[in-house]
Amino acid sequence: MSDRTTAAPGAGRHRAVVAQRLETDAEAVERDLLRLVLTVVELIRQLMEKQALRRVDEGDLTDAEVEGLGTGLMHLEQAMEDLKDRYGLCAEDLNIDLGPLGSLLPGRTDEL
Amino acid sequence: MTDDERSSARYLYAVCRRLDPAVLQGVPALGDAPLDVVVQHDLMAVVSTVSLAVFGEEALRRNLEDIAWLEETARVHDEVVRAVSRCAPTAPMRLATICFDDAVVRARLREWYVDLAHVLDRIEGCSEWSVKVLTAPTDQAIDDGAAPAVTNGADYLRRKKLLAERRSAHDSSVAEAAGRIHDALVLLARASRILPAQDPRLSGHRGTMVLNAAYLVPDQERAAFAALVEQLGTHDDRVVVDSRGPWPPYSFAMLEAR
Amino acid sequence: MTTDAARTRDLAPVALVDLLDRLLGTGVVVAGDVVVSLAGVDLVEIRLQLLVTSIRAEMAERRTAAAG
Repeated sequence: MSDRTTAAPGAGRHRAVVAQRLETDAEAVERDLLRLVLTVVELIRQLMEKQALRRVDEGDLTDAEVEGLGTGLMHLEQAMEDLKDRYGLCAEDLNIDLGPLGSLLPGRTDEL
Repeated sequence: MTDDERSSARYLYAVCRRLDPAVLQGVPALGDAPLDVVVQHDLMAVVSTVSLAVFGEEALRRNLEDIAWLEETARVHDEVVRAVSRCAPTAPMRLATICFDDAVVRARLREWYVDLAHVLDRIEGCSEWSVKVLTAPTDQAIDDGAAPAVTNGADYLRRKKLLAERRSAHDSSVAEAAGRIHDALVLLARASRILPAQDPRLSGHRGTMVLNAAYLVPDQERAAFAALVEQLGTHDDRVVVDSRGPWPPYSFAMLEAR
Repeated sequence: MTTDAARTRDLAPVALVDLLDRLLGTGVVVAGDVVVSLAGVDLVEIRLQLLVTSIRAEMAERRTAAAG
């Protein structure tokens, strides 16, 4: 007689993987797709900012490069704020899990 | 009957000692089947018959991705475990522990006997309490306050760096506070386990989860434990302490896979 | 919470995520996929994987040297 048990206690074989569903209707579809796009843009903005700070710390940039980076990032941050305002989105709205990096805004809105 | 012809199997909810089967009366089981007890020596397995169309390997793999099915199944399973653990020392099983028939259930009980006996000794007279520590919602305040005026790009980067450093220091000190909370609670528990932090989209918690722990608390320490949790929560306003229980001892009944 | 047992319990309802963390070997995770649906119909599944590389000064120099 076969003796198989599907799962043993502590075997830890079971995991449930649940995909997120972006439910939209004709009214909301534009806003929801925008939300998706802005989430990706915000991720990249945060990564750029973090990397810029690292490069400044490493001290291998000229003053002009530092100034250029800072000004560019400042404008980018302002542009994101304007877009969020225009579409009525707050930082928590831009929090879709897009893959192995996990949630884009793990705990706080301004830090990755 | 060959394996291919089987359509049903036994679902194992928990293993107990000294269980009075009358406790199972009226407790709903999966698929509205009746609950049974399979005895091996002093161990009693609480089981019911389930369909392999739902719990066979293929079907199970699909069902585990269906959050509605998971919720329904988990809650029925949990109710059975709670009904039993209120009345007898109980080692809960994980979801979907399936044995083809009662002979296999008994064989598993024999195979796991030493480990199960050890678990039951350990959890007897105790309940599990879940304690989570989260950052309080007001921590955004560290981003405000006296920030230097930003007039150029270099200033902007300096300000960002200052904010990052402040956040990092805040995070370290909150993590330390959570560590101290854990160290205090451990003193009143027979055992403890640190669990992974939960995804806020699943837990609905605001703030960052800096501690997710389970404590095996003897019943005679329950009041002292609750009082200590309350005190630790109000002591530090940077954190929120979320305590729930009593739970059947799920986190302390794991057997090592062989 | 919709079960009768839950309604009769005098404690706060057991949080599903706490329950699943304990009942499943590795808990439940939200997959890195997004399914976009419109009017109740699933249309598009998005799987994004980002490879993030930090660019350091020496790499930038190498790039300039190779291009020059």
